[in-house]
Amino acid sequence: MERTPLTATEERHSVEELEDLAFELREKLLHLCGTYEGAVHIGGDLSAADILTALFEYGMNVDPADLANPERDRFVLSKGHAAVCMYIAMAIRGFLSYDDIVATYGQLDSAYGMHPCKVQLPGVEASTGSLGHGLPIAVGMALGARGRNDEHRVFCLLGDGETGEGSVWEAVMAARSNKLGNLVAFVDRNRQLMTSFAEERVVFEPYPDKWRAFGWNVIEIDGHDMSQIVAALDGLPASDSDTPTVIVAETVKGKGVDFMERNLAWHAGSLGAADLERALTALNASRVKETV
Amino acid sequence: MPATFTFGEMLSARSVIGTTLAELGDEHPNLYVLTPDIGATLVEFRDAFPDRFIDVGLAEQACVGIASGLAYDGNIPVVSGMLPFLSMRALEQVRTDVCYPNLPVKIIGTHGGLVGNGGSTHYAVEDLTLMGALTNMTVTSIGDPAMVGEVLRQSMTMEGPIYIRLAVGKKDKVLYEPGEHELRIGKGIIARQGTDATIFTHGTTVAQALDAADQLASEGHSVRVVDMWTLKPIDEQLILSSAAETGGRFVVLEDHLAYGGLATRIADVVADNGVHLTGFERLGIPQVYAGFGEDEQLRDKHGYGLADTVAALRRVISAQH
Repeated sequence: MERTPLTATEERHSVEELEDLAFELREKLLHLCGTYEGAVHIGGDLSAADILTALFEYGMNVDPADLANPERDRFVLSKGHAAVCMYIAMAIRGFLSYDDIVATYGQLDSAYGMHPCKVQLPGVEASTGSLGHGLPIAVGMALGARGRNDEHRVFCLLGDGETGEGSVWEAVMAARSNKLGNLVAFVDRNRQLMTSFAEERVVFEPYPDKWRAFGWNVIEIDGHDMSQIVAALDGLPASDSDTPTVIVAETVKGKGVDFMERNLAWHAGSLGAADLERALTALNASRVKETV
Repeated sequence: MPATFTFGEMLSARSVIGTTLAELGDEHPNLYVLTPDIGATLVEFRDAFPDRFIDVGLAEQACVGIASGLAYDGNIPVVSGMLPFLSMRALEQVRTDVCYPNLPVKIIGTHGGLVGNGGSTHYAVEDLTLMGALTNMTVTSIGDPAMVGEVLRQSMTMEGPIYIRLAVGKKDKVLYEPGEHELRIGKGIIARQGTDATIFTHGTTVAQALDAADQLASEGHSVRVVDMWTLKPIDEQLILSSAAETGGRFVVLEDHLAYGGLATRIADVVADNGVHLTGFERLGIPQVYAGFGEDEQLRDKHGYGLADTVAALRRVISAQH
């Protein structure tokens, strides 16, 4: 469904531009991780970087100058530990100041911490962090939109690990039962839990089929291929349709930094100055490799 | 809500919920009612506003989470169900999704206390401790069925969440004539004036406290009965004035674990204000899983029935400074 963007004068980014923005997001993530001495959930931030870039820069109808516009699309970060990735994606889009984030992250009275808080940072849509909570909240927001015949969509990003929580599947059933075609879930399918690789401890497969069995429209993509993410967003059913959509995005935890990729040690951590250089070098190398 | 009723008559709090919500649904186009498959109470609202009635089935956690999403979106959600499950299975959703962002979600339900033959899976006896622990949560427990509608009505303009505890909700004694007491969230009701001792109570045991006060009156003692229907924020002034005016003699009676509910809240106020009491007794459920039986039998068995209440009042009245 075509809608007038809230920022009507802005042209939509090309895939190449989105890739550049995702690279910028990863760089900024690493810089924060290099300057902040406490732990940053860098592994799950890097796996979600392309999805969040695509959402804030392309897929969602939002206006940083008009946070409360009732027509805006809503975004709920169910995997709340990716808050830093969201903060920075929002900063690049113009909602927040990256310098503020870096200068205050995790400090007393900062609006920026490990998990997002709506009260402390009104620019985010919901307070999340405890896993398995975001999708029910998104269902409530989608119901509210339906009640007013609003056309905006509600997006929600989940980690695959958190879909081990029963409350997720309660919400999956509620969304289908209430015919919420205005609800779009992304699953960041990086196949890692905090302390294990997912399929070692918990059998998730056949994962997309589980969503299909609950009656959802399922789109499977490579979550690091920007053209596939864009195609999935372009191909969403109309928001007034009956079926909620899940985009199962295959990702790599730590994506873009070779020594972090698929490495359980990098669920969360901090980089010293030397490791920051090493990480940035790796990030650059990964980009060169992919563009060759 | 029935237009007329008489003190001592039985009234269904459940029907009051349904009719009140249907009325409020007209006044508030953003009022939603949600339930995890306990919708019998809500038929009047469901029939009047099917698009704003959400039955999620057996899914308390999602029910509260969805209510949160609706509230974020500018709506007024009421979640109604059985309190043992809403207060425990969905506790984290209540805390994280509702109380943390301070959203105007109302949680109202039945089966507070040892209500009948359900057994301990179906008794909410820890709920006031749990809900009382949550920042931003207002906690109430209502015995008089006619009050339910008024409290729901008042709650519509509240900024944050509220928990409204009822007993089984099928047959509740009307305690007050309409307009007899001013109802204000956060203020207790002096249901009976007295000078020799105060009995504090809430919910379904208010009627029992009044009966106990009547017995003591026939023995020449004057007992104040306070219906402390808002447990949080607690009416501190009423506790302090009752200590001063009834000889520092307190009995607290509640259909809840004896520790962690109203008695604990009153003890906190007393200690924080350095008040010296002459006597303090708490009547409630000891640390046991209570078993089966009728409400009255269970209260007698566990030491907080009418006879125990009368005995406790006699003891505090005879206590020496």
